[in-house]
Amino acid sequence: MTTVDTVRADAPAPRAARAWRTLRSSRAAVVGLAIVAVHVVIALLAPLLTSYDPIAGNASQALLGPGGAHWAGTDQYGRDVLARVLYGGRYALGVSVAATVVSVALGTVIGCATALRGGWFDDVTGRVLDAVLAIPAVLALLVVVTALGTGPAVIVLAVAVVFVPQVVRVVRGAALAVVPADYVTAARARGEGTWSILRREILPNIVDVVCVEFAMRASWVVLLISSLSFLGFGADPPTPDWGLMVAENRTAITVVPMASVAPIIALATLVIGLNLAADGLSKAWGVDRITEGF
Amino acid sequence: MLSFVARRTVAALGTLLLSSLLVFLAVQALPGDVATQVLGRDATPQAVAELRGSLGLDRPAFERYGDWMWGALHGDFGTSLVSGTAVGGDVAQYLGNSALIALITILFAVTGSLLLGILAGLYRDRWPDHLISTVSLVGMSVPEFVVATVLVLCFSVALPWFPAVVLYGPDATVGQLLPAVWLPALALAVVMAAYIVRMARTSVIDVMASEYVTTARLKGLSTWRVVTRHALPSALLPVLHVIALNVAWLLGGVAVVENVFNYPGIGKLMLSSVQNRDLPVVQAIALISAVVYVVCNLAADLGAMALNPRLRTRGRTR
Amino acid sequence: MTPLVSVNSLSVAYRSGGRRIPVVHEVSLEAAAGRTLALVGESGSGKSTLAAALLGHLRHGSHVTGGSVTVDGRDVFALSAPELRRLRGRTVAMVAQNAGQALTPSMRVGRQIAEAGGDIPVTELLDQVRLPRPAELARRYPHELSGGQQQRVALAMALAARPKVLVLDEPTTGLDVVTQRGVLDLIAALRDELGLAAVLVSHDLGVVAHLADEVCVLQSGRVVESAPTRQLFALPEQPYTKRLLASVPRLDDAGLALVRETGEREIRPKAVVPEDAPIAVSARDITVDYGSSRAVHGVSFAVRRGEVLALVGESGSGKSTLAWALAGLRTPSGGAMSHESGDLARPAQRRPMSLRRRVQLVFQNADTSLNPRRSVGDAIRRPLRFFGTASGRTESAERARQLIADVRLDPALADRLPAQLSGGQRQRIGIARALAGEPDVLIADEITTALDVSVQADVLHLVDDLRRERDLACLFISHDLAVVRGIADRVVVLRGGVVVEEGPTEAVFSAPQHPYTCRLMAAALEPDPDAQPPVEATPDWADAAQEGEVWTDHGGGHRARRWRPAGTPDDNPTAPVAEGVS
Repeated sequence: MTTVDTVRADAPAPRAARAWRTLRSSRAAVVGLAIVAVHVVIALLAPLLTSYDPIAGNASQALLGPGGAHWAGTDQYGRDVLARVLYGGRYALGVSVAATVVSVALGTVIGCATALRGGWFDDVTGRVLDAVLAIPAVLALLVVVTALGTGPAVIVLAVAVVFVPQVVRVVRGAALAVVPADYVTAARARGEGTWSILRREILPNIVDVVCVEFAMRASWVVLLISSLSFLGFGADPPTPDWGLMVAENRTAITVVPMASVAPIIALATLVIGLNLAADGLSKAWGVDRITEGF
Repeated sequence: MLSFVARRTVAALGTLLLSSLLVFLAVQALPGDVATQVLGRDATPQAVAELRGSLGLDRPAFERYGDWMWGALHGDFGTSLVSGTAVGGDVAQYLGNSALIALITILFAVTGSLLLGILAGLYRDRWPDHLISTVSLVGMSVPEFVVATVLVLCFSVALPWFPAVVLYGPDATVGQLLPAVWLPALALAVVMAAYIVRMARTSVIDVMASEYVTTARLKGLSTWRVVTRHALPSALLPVLHVIALNVAWLLGGVAVVENVFNYPGIGKLMLSSVQNRDLPVVQAIALISAVVYVVCNLAADLGAMALNPRLRTRGRTR
Repeated sequence: MTPLVSVNSLSVAYRSGGRRIPVVHEVSLEAAAGRTLALVGESGSGKSTLAAALLGHLRHGSHVTGGSVTVDGRDVFALSAPELRRLRGRTVAMVAQNAGQALTPSMRVGRQIAEAGGDIPVTELLDQVRLPRPAELARRYPHELSGGQQQRVALAMALAARPKVLVLDEPTTGLDVVTQRGVLDLIAALRDELGLAAVLVSHDLGVVAHLADEVCVLQSGRVVESAPTRQLFALPEQPYTKRLLASVPRLDDAGLALVRETGEREIRPKAVVPEDAPIAVSARDITVDYGSSRAVHGVSFAVRRGEVLALVGESGSGKSTLAWALAGLRTPSGGAMSHESGDLARPAQRRPMSLRRRVQLVFQNADTSLNPRRSVGDAIRRPLRFFGTASGRTESAERARQLIADVRLDPALADRLPAQLSGGQRQRIGIARALAGEPDVLIADEITTALDVSVQADVLHLVDDLRRERDLACLFISHDLAVVRGIADRVVVLRGGVVVEEGPTEAVFSAPQHPYTCRLMAAALEPDPDAQPPVEATPDWADAAQEGEVWTDHGGGHRARRWRPAGTPDDNPTAPVAEGVS
């Protein structure tokens, strides 16, 4: 009961250091992020890891089982499976990261704005986004891709169309929990502008939600893009891509199982990594994933 | 209570109308002139113009949208550009086949995943939880086509119990399709269940930590009674909407799985009609999907009302 | 007689990040049938953990590290699961802290009571807790009841199987004073009627003095002092107990109490507001609407520079709504508000900057009033820069440190995040942030409600110091009459958005004129077992204000709204109250 209260906690650490500390406390998050990191490194260093060309085929070497020259065998066109798997991460990661960044960024801005502004703006946005959600993701994606072609930019756009409404929902929910807080009211009473309140008061408090959202959304984007490729609407045939590889080699699965299994393993580990990261982060940062639909 | 139902229904109809408009506009944006496509590149301009006239393509978009909606309300979705038959009948046939898969999937996935999720939530941080959580993590980490491929490998190739592909057309009877239904249903159920399991687990953990569950325990009630009477009604509430979303998602997921098994369902029709630019069919499928989505959500809302007396006795604000 | 409950050097710890953190440390206590034992302590004293331990319940992650708990001859932590279940409810029952959250929302209250066991019909139990129309009430869901009714239902549920021991964990926290008084009287009556041993957990020394036979004071999980109630309140032995008791504001304090380390009280006389002090802010006939319901009906008041005006009332009286209207967060639907330097009718965003900074609000809950992601220095620097009261980075940093020192904190705290401060420290930072605009009107909305009593005394002192130093006009909003008594120069009593009485603090407290004020004062609990209510029980009344004849004047600015005795009770505390939660 002294006039100057005694110091309670130890000296404060910088924000980034604290975030890292809590993150390290979650084994799932560390393992998940490590898996993703390995995938990124492999995709970047693919040319150094294999001497084979992932596109050029060699008909005389077709449908080989795993052996000394081709560790994971070859596919029906005689292309080295391992090389294609290693290079395949480039397309999956590149397009997925771009698509996720676009969706999450757009969704965050719209979500925050609707939560803060409320009223008719919130209602109208909510209606429109719900209407977009009502159309199945795969169909929406197919229509966009058919309309605009199959380039990576189109896929990014198509994925954004599908995922922005879902990100908006989650971010809006998180922001709505922050908006009535007294510090936001205090900023309003000071007469601060919408953008300033958004940036200074709301965004810093939902950064964790956005991060978790990013990791989780990324895993869905990877799944969706690979499904698209599998159906023949994603990567164009010679491109090394996991979904495409499964589609190509599925019929020969009894002859060269590795040609299908290798991309499946690559795909699954990447998504497991992302999911682990999302799980670990949400647990470490106390983000309530219950508010998130599927 | 009635006002709640009424408000939700009106909102659902609004969503439906808006999505139909979106679908219509998106499909209009698809490149290529339908008439040219139907008649081929060598068609005379006169023939093209005639066909455009007979298809009503020369009229303003809004008029065509109105006509289309009006027809759709009466079950008339136009004529398929590819087969030349009524879209409604075609789609209904394919939809029926898919419904067979969907029904089995929902039945198994929902009951199984709820049980597993609740189990994991109750045994939080013990081995049943770890096992279920890990399996569900893997389940949601592999795409449907992978699950389907693996299933084919196991149960059609290694153990020839089920057919790997369906050899019948869309007019196959239920008896003919029945043996081929199980693998696609299983593939979809695995992916779908993974999400529901996780959500149910989180929700159960949350509710089990609530004060009223503690109070019920301190009343000396048995664990069974605490769980079934006090915890579950509230714990299932957020799960309902996830189930609804997943059921709606089935329509999309089914496209991939049906493609793997060559199953004559709505998903396969969707793919081929997008490939063939069969716009009336695409529109019809999109509209039906939106209806399914809206109906599922409405059902979830009504379910929430049954579980939450607050909604029954007072309206809810968004 | 052997005690029904005995705790023998019990220690409980929980595990966090591999470390074992003790919450209860070698606590021993006993409770006998027909007696009430109170566990008193501030937050973090381990009193709730101890209460739950009596039912053999520990929170997820906690465990017993030593000692034992014996209830009715059985060691509760040695019982098998079925035995423990039989013990709970039948031998020892608990009334949880917040009845609103302790009742299952999806179940009718009648069924919740019935399943607690026992042979007594539900309607009889509801009747026993003095709830009207029990048969109809039993069919309701928890959210259809008022807070007081929920607490009574929770009590009926605990009593259903006729336990021998009743554990009450903060049974009246969050209830209005009048409702609280009703629930406490009911608990006392039932305890005597059923011969229960009651264990009462509370932070409120008034509640304890009113209900307990023996008191056990806890601090950081240890027993500080344990004595019969009268003895403890009359002659506390330990310095901590003395300080705790001395910190509680009382209805007959003429000013703020200054508490020494040794626990002695000294009343500081109130500051004298000069007769000619200018009026800083005034409101005339303010009405505020929430949709179609009116929260404030034509309230008028004025606050002079250097003066503390208190708005007193229960929840729903419109006092916080008025504060928000004045701060520009809610636009009144009628009336006029003005400040020395301009009109306050417009919302904050559209007030001129110079006016906006002069009227500042301090929030009730310090935990949510500071952005958890920004350092407290940042929280203070922002308004400094925004209002232009400090120019430049270095100057604002310097001024922020100065402001932190002004609220009697170490300026080194500027780099901390709110979570690294205690509740009292956070509330001081909230005040410093309000001072950053160099206001001349400070609105304090229930600023001490969420604080422990010793911290509350410090914060009240700070507010009193600041208004002297800075000649602030302070609108002090509170539900706690004793707090108001010590700090306010004038009092306005609100009920249902209407002013029922106003006047100088001395006059209103020594001779309350309106029956509602009397009822509030009669319900207030003093930390003294022998305290007599300052006023007699009040007659039932009805409003008798008419156009042109609203007030009865009692001289010196003291006036009360006209009323007449009524035959029918108008504000029965157990009447169903529709909760206005949006």
